[in-house]
Amino acid sequence: MVKGRFILFCCVLLTACSTPDSDSIRFGLASAPTNLDPRFATDAASERINRLLYNRLVDFDEHARPRPALASWERLNDRHYRFRLGTAGRRFHDGSRLDAADVAATYRSVLDPATASPQRGTLAMIEHIEVLDRDTLDFFLNRADALFPGFLTIGILPAAGIEAGRAFHHQPMGSGPFRLRSWPAPGRLELERTRDRQIIVFEQVHDPTMRVLKLLRGEVDILQNDLPPELLHYLAGKKGIYVRTHRGSNFSYLGFQLQDRDTGKEDVRRAIALAIDRRAIIRYVFRGAARPASALLVPEHWAGNPHLDSIETDLDRARTLLARAGYDADHPLHIRYKTSSDPFRVRIATILQQQLGRVGILVDVQSYDWGTFYADIKAGRFQLYSLTWVGIKSPDIFRYAFHSDSLPPGGANRGRLQDARIDRMIEQAMVAKDTQQQAKIYAALQARLLEQLVYVPLWYEDQYLAARDGISGYSLATDGNYDALQSISKNRYTIAQRGLQDAR
Amino acid sequence: MPAYLISRLWMAVWVIFGVTSLVFFLIHWVPGDPVEVMLGESASAFDRESLRQALGLDQPILAQWGSFLAGVFTLDMGVSLFHQQPVMALLNARYPATLELAAAAFLIAIVIALPLGLMAAARQGSRRDFAAMGFSLLGVSIPNFWLGPLLVLVFALGLGWFPVSGREAAGAVVLPAITLGTSLAAILSRMVRSSLLEVLGEDFIRTARAKGLSARQVLVRHALRNAWLPILTLLGMQAGALLGGAVITETVFNWPGIGSLLVESIQRRDYPVVQACVLMISLAYVTINLLTDLLYAWVDPRIRLGQR
Repeated sequence: MVKGRFILFCCVLLTACSTPDSDSIRFGLASAPTNLDPRFATDAASERINRLLYNRLVDFDEHARPRPALASWERLNDRHYRFRLGTAGRRFHDGSRLDAADVAATYRSVLDPATASPQRGTLAMIEHIEVLDRDTLDFFLNRADALFPGFLTIGILPAAGIEAGRAFHHQPMGSGPFRLRSWPAPGRLELERTRDRQIIVFEQVHDPTMRVLKLLRGEVDILQNDLPPELLHYLAGKKGIYVRTHRGSNFSYLGFQLQDRDTGKEDVRRAIALAIDRRAIIRYVFRGAARPASALLVPEHWAGNPHLDSIETDLDRARTLLARAGYDADHPLHIRYKTSSDPFRVRIATILQQQLGRVGILVDVQSYDWGTFYADIKAGRFQLYSLTWVGIKSPDIFRYAFHSDSLPPGGANRGRLQDARIDRMIEQAMVAKDTQQQAKIYAALQARLLEQLVYVPLWYEDQYLAARDGISGYSLATDGNYDALQSISKNRYTIAQRGLQDAR
Repeated sequence: MPAYLISRLWMAVWVIFGVTSLVFFLIHWVPGDPVEVMLGESASAFDRESLRQALGLDQPILAQWGSFLAGVFTLDMGVSLFHQQPVMALLNARYPATLELAAAAFLIAIVIALPLGLMAAARQGSRRDFAAMGFSLLGVSIPNFWLGPLLVLVFALGLGWFPVSGREAAGAVVLPAITLGTSLAAILSRMVRSSLLEVLGEDFIRTARAKGLSARQVLVRHALRNAWLPILTLLGMQAGALLGGAVITETVFNWPGIGSLLVESIQRRDYPVVQACVLMISLAYVTINLLTDLLYAWVDPRIRLGQR
């Protein structure tokens, strides 16, 4: 009897010890942030969390048009911009005031080669910065760039901290809606919302199945992206959990080595594009959580082209094109297709392998760890590869990815495209006088890229979240940022009530 | 004995030197440049060169190797390229978790394996023996990436006794330790059984029985003591493996140990962290192996270390 009671006591104790019970909102992440200094952060998690900690001069609206954040701007001439700081977001978390001098110090620090900031290359057009008064500063450029304001998205740091060599990467000091509460371990980060002291805990859980189980048990409250579609589908049917999706802008594509004997032929590229059944993949693999893409920018982007025709599957035409390019059953086309070792990407690669096999293309799928894969792609050691452009806002991406001056390592023209007409269009867009004219040029440029099939556009993957019932006020952003944490709230009563109902 | 110890320590230094040097050259040789991974593709050649200089990666490979070896002797393993924290601080944060998990898994394995192996050997051919060896076969066959989630489904989600993953909550070590300890227990119980069966056929066991000792006394005091050597060897090897981090279990349970840190760092080409992790792991292996050898002499007085 005594023994039985003791065992019962132990069980109750164990249950009590491990029952998740918290006022904080716990956000499950596949990858933890590594660097909270916006001058250095390059991974998506760090960039998204830095948006919460720091304010920036410029942000983007839903059509990715630059809009004032900390400051509004005026183009005095094509190489001279004036920025005026507004009233919102002007206090750093230590109470000091954010001034034009802080903005200048941040950008000067990024431009200083000694800082070795990865952002320096993107801002290379800045010649110098002049502070006019506490609220106004001028940026002078060494070349005209109509997209310039859209580059000023780096979080602003206090000048005093920069001068003192503060370790912002681990001790951030910004003026954003959240401040760092603690960072007890690399995989766990706690932020505090400045307006109401609501705590948000970011917890890294590598394994997607475990992230889902933690959500079901209430050890995390919300998950965003990085789940296989079948797990998301599983969650959608669970009591106490709701799932939301939102159109995304992350662009997945197949890239070709254009200097290759096989993939350099336009007929081969078109045959591959026509042999792929994207709609079937979206329907059965993504379970509808993606939409077919025709260009790098989404149609609703201000510089997007909503009139581009989607490439539809046509196996007969694909076979005809292959035959015209000199391939047949006796001399089949062999393609080496490189992808990362991410299980979902490998799964997509094997599906594409099967689809291309239907028209007689023999695909050798080669998956590598990220470092090796990325190095191979940059070095041009591939025939065909798949990747995703994430969080693209500025149409400057076209210069970066397709201009003949942007060959790696100085850019991302990985396929080694050399097309004078495309180069000319990119240059014209960069110096266009207004955004309407720019939008027109970019639309034509995207039509040309689709015609040349430099990439095979695949799809834009949706953004999605799964959260517990008591979580409200969080909405998904097209680029997957975490900005909506500013308005998120947790109703513990709802969660507890749901738990009781489930128990009954 | 002191001479033996000195010679083993001297050998250990060379083993660690060899392993860490091999890994140093391998990680620099495989494709993937940390500067490229950090800066992305928008950086200019000048930016890349600046960062390479700042990180010391512009130095000839032999000079970098020399700096690494100097760092080992001064216990300054450099700064993580990605975390921008001293590597020793990262290791100090992670290694206690590895030690905790390894110790718990080891304990679970011994608690399960010893009675199971003893029972199976004592009742060879019985139903209990078949049941014990069936468990052992199952334990070896079930992969950790499957057993882990299964345990979570039952004990965390179903019964609510333990947290799903992480290290902060009370009892968090139990499920990962069971996951890791089960396969070890399975191997160990088979080893205990086979070693005991070998010893149980010896003349001195017959003598012990003839003296009228109970079956339990014969098994524990005479047979087990003489069966320890192969068991110790296995325990030593397994302990070394556990202290080197259990990547799959750490990943499944989000356990912040050295194994997952090593894998992450390899993927990011974070050279200083990879080198420091490998150094720690080889140190653990060498130390455990040395301890195992010293234990041989203690367990079996017939063994005199260092004597030919």
